[in-house]
Amino acid sequence: MARTRTTKTVAQRIDLNYFKRPTPFKRAKLWLAILAPAIALVWIGWHVLGRDNRVYSSGRLSEAHAVLEKECAACHVQQAGGYSASAADSACLACHDGPVHHATNVNVTLACADCHVEHRGRVNLVATKNESCGQCHGDLSTADRDSRYFKHIRTFADGHPEFAALRPIAGVPASDTGTIKLNHAMHMRLIRRGPSGPMVQLDCVTCHATGATNPNLTYSDAKYRAANVSYKDSDVVLQIPQESLQGPRPITGRELMTPPKFANACAGCHLLTFDKRSDAGVPHDKPQVIHAYLVKKFSEYVASHGAELHEVQDPQRHLTGRANGPVRRALSPAQWVAERVAVSEELLWHKTCSQCHAISMTPLQDVRIARWDAGNAHGATRITSSLTGNVHESGAATLPEVAAANITLQWLPQSRFDHDAHRGFSCIGCHQNALTSTETLDILIPGIATCQKCHAPGPEHTESRCFECHTYHDWAKRKEVKPTFTLPALRSTGK
Amino acid sequence: MLIDRTQRGWGLGSLGIFAAALVMYFLEAWIAPQGPRGGSAMGLIFGVVGFAFMIFAAALGARKRVPTWRIGRAKAWMRGHLWLGLLSLPLVLFHGGFHFGGTLTRVLMWLLIATVASGVYGAALQNSIPKKMTADIPLETIYDEISHVRKLLREEADRTVESICGDVGFAKDVSGESQRAGGFTALRPIAASAAPLRTSAAVSAGASAAVAPAAEIILLSEAESAPLRKFYIEEMRPYLEQSKSRGRRLADEARASSVFVSLRTLLPAAAHNTLADLEDICDEARQLLRQERLHRWLHGWLLLHIPLSLALILLGAVHAVMALRY
Repeated sequence: MARTRTTKTVAQRIDLNYFKRPTPFKRAKLWLAILAPAIALVWIGWHVLGRDNRVYSSGRLSEAHAVLEKECAACHVQQAGGYSASAADSACLACHDGPVHHATNVNVTLACADCHVEHRGRVNLVATKNESCGQCHGDLSTADRDSRYFKHIRTFADGHPEFAALRPIAGVPASDTGTIKLNHAMHMRLIRRGPSGPMVQLDCVTCHATGATNPNLTYSDAKYRAANVSYKDSDVVLQIPQESLQGPRPITGRELMTPPKFANACAGCHLLTFDKRSDAGVPHDKPQVIHAYLVKKFSEYVASHGAELHEVQDPQRHLTGRANGPVRRALSPAQWVAERVAVSEELLWHKTCSQCHAISMTPLQDVRIARWDAGNAHGATRITSSLTGNVHESGAATLPEVAAANITLQWLPQSRFDHDAHRGFSCIGCHQNALTSTETLDILIPGIATCQKCHAPGPEHTESRCFECHTYHDWAKRKEVKPTFTLPALRSTGK
Repeated sequence: MLIDRTQRGWGLGSLGIFAAALVMYFLEAWIAPQGPRGGSAMGLIFGVVGFAFMIFAAALGARKRVPTWRIGRAKAWMRGHLWLGLLSLPLVLFHGGFHFGGTLTRVLMWLLIATVASGVYGAALQNSIPKKMTADIPLETIYDEISHVRKLLREEADRTVESICGDVGFAKDVSGESQRAGGFTALRPIAASAAPLRTSAAVSAGASAAVAPAAEIILLSEAESAPLRKFYIEEMRPYLEQSKSRGRRLADEARASSVFVSLRTLLPAAAHNTLADLEDICDEARQLLRQERLHRWLHGWLLLHIPLSLALILLGAVHAVMALRY
C-alpha cells in the first residue's frame, strides 16, 4: 500500500476560506501596523500638548543662541492672521544690530539668514561660508562696478590678492612710510650695548611686544618709562583708514604689536647724554622740551660751578687755517649757558637724535663756539634771549623739526590679525626678512603665501574662510538695541 | 516580485529621475551660498517629490485591499512601489542636504532609511527564496494551512501504523477528512518505488493505475510489530505533533533515512510498504517545517517594513505642515 498524491486530494485538504482566518503572522502585522503610527501619533501629541515646538526644529541652535533653544517664538514670530511663522530679520535685529556692509556700494539685499544659517547644530554663527562673501566678491564687477578692490575673490586660496601693504604701486615696490631709521639686520646680530657696554644678542621680543604684555622689556629704562612726554602715542602711529571695517568685539590688546617706544626698547642702549658734566640724558621728547631741559640743567650747573665761567682755550681745539680766538676769557652765566646748550644741541640734533629720527638740520655752530667767536653765533644769541624769558618764541623758530614717526600699527587694516593666536610660532618663522633688512623702507610683514601655508582648506590646515580675518558688518555704524529677554523668565519658561 | 528584464523600463526611468535629481542637487550645492537646504525652492521640490513617492509606495497596501479597483495592474503598482519607494530615499537626502536636522526630521530620516532598507532586503529575499522553495520543497502547501495539514499527516500516520499493528489506542478523527491527510490516498496504489507525484503526467499515470487491485492487508503479531510501535509512539508521533522542537532525528533527512533503514531490518517484508508510507509522511512533515522557516524569512521583514512606513507617512505629513509654518 503506497501513498498516492493527486491534485484533487491535495486541494481537498485545504480549507478554501483559509485566507479569512487570522493567523499569528497576520495578527502581528495588523497590530504592528496600528501600533507604530499610534506611537508616532502619541509622541507628536505629547509635544503638542506640552507646547514643545522643539520637536519640529530642523536642528540645534548655534552656540550663541543655545539659550533660546526652547524659545521658538523669540525668532519665529507669527504674523497676524497668517499661518507662517518664519524667522525674519526683524527678530535678529531686535537683539543685535547688523550694520550693512559698504551700504552705498552693495546692490543686493541680503537677509540675515542668507549668511548666518541657524539650526545647523552648535556651530559658530559668525563662521559664514566663503560662498556668502563670494556672492559679491566672486564677481565684484556686478555688485560694485567701480570698486577699487580686487573683483574676483572667491576664497583665500582662490583669487585673494597679495596683502595691499605689500603690493607694488605703479611698478614701485611697496615701502614702509615710517621715518624711524632702524637696521633690523644689525640689531639681530651680536651688538655692543652702548659705547662701552657688553656684546648682547637681541631678540624680537627684546623690542616688540603686544599692547597687553608687560612693557618692562629687557632694555627698557625705568626713568624714561616714568617720564611724562609731550607727545601722544597717536602722534607716533599712522591712523587706520576710516573706511576699514573693524570687528565687533573689543580687542584684547594682544592682537597687534605696539609700536616700540624709546623708553621700553631703545633707552637701555641708546643713551641721550649731552655733556660730560651730566650723566643723565635729555628727555626723549620734542626739541622744544629738550631745549628747555638743557637750559635748565646748565643754568643749575653754572650756579654751583662759578669757576667754569673762566675758561682757557683748549689747545686740542685748534683748527688749522682758522684764526684762533683769545687764549683765556671770562663769560657771563647766560653766555656760558647759551654756549653749552648750543654745543649740546648740535650733538643731539646732528648725531644722537638723527641716528634714528629724520630731522630738519640746523647749521653746525659748535665750531664757532669752540673757537670762542660765539658772540656772533646765532645759537648763542638765541639762547641768551631765551634766558630772558623768550625761549619758546625765539627758540621754536630755529629748533629742528623731527619728522613724525609714522609707525604703522596695523598693516592689514581691512582685516584682523591676532599675534596672540600665533604665539606658539617664532617671530622669524613668519617675519624672515627681519634678519636681512637694513632699510627703514623694508616692509617686514609676511606675504599671503606665508599665511596660506597654514590657512588653507583641507585636513592638517586651519581655518581659511573669509570670516577668519574679515568682517562683513560695518560695526562703526552699529546702533544699540533695547534688551528683550529677562534672565529668570528665559530660563524658567518657554517651550 | 522578481527583479528581471521586465523591470528594465522602471529601472531606467528611476535611474533617469535619480540622475536628474543628482544634477539638480549639485547645481544647487554649487550655486546656493549656504548649500542645499530643505527650505530652498529646490529643496522643497525634492521634499515634495520624495514625499509623493513615499505616499505612492504606501498606497500599494490600499491597492491590495481592493483588488477590484480599476486603477492599474497590480504588477505595475508593485513595480512603482519598488522603484519609486527606493527613489524616495535619495530625494529626501537631497531635500535635507544630507543633514538629518532636528528631532522630528532625524526620526523621519531613520524611519525612511529603515523602511527602504527593509524593503530592499525583502525584495532581495523575494528574488531568492521562492526559487529555493520550489527546488527544496516539492510538497509545499499553503502556509496558513500548514498546521492543519500537519495534523492530517499525523492522523494518516496513526491509521497507517494501526493498519499493520492493530489498535494502538490513538484517538480517532470522525470528521471524515482522514482520507485527505497529505493529499494522498491508500486506495489506489501505484508502484512501490513511485516517487512523489506532482506533475500532471504523474497524476495521469496514477489515475491509470487506479484500476489495480488493492494489496492485501497483513496484520503483524505483537512481537513483530513491537519495534514499529516503539518507534512510532516514542519518536515519530511526537515529531509529527511538535515538529518544531529541535534535536529530533527525524528532522534531519539523512538521519531519518538511516532510522527507517534499520527499522526495515527489524520488521518483516510485509511491513516495508507501511514503513515507506511512514517515511514519506515524515519527509512531507519535514518539508512543511522547512517551508515554514523559509516563509518567515520571506515575509518576516514585512513586520518591520509596513509599520515603519505607516509611521513614516504620518510623521512626514506632520513635518510638511510644520515646516511650511516655520
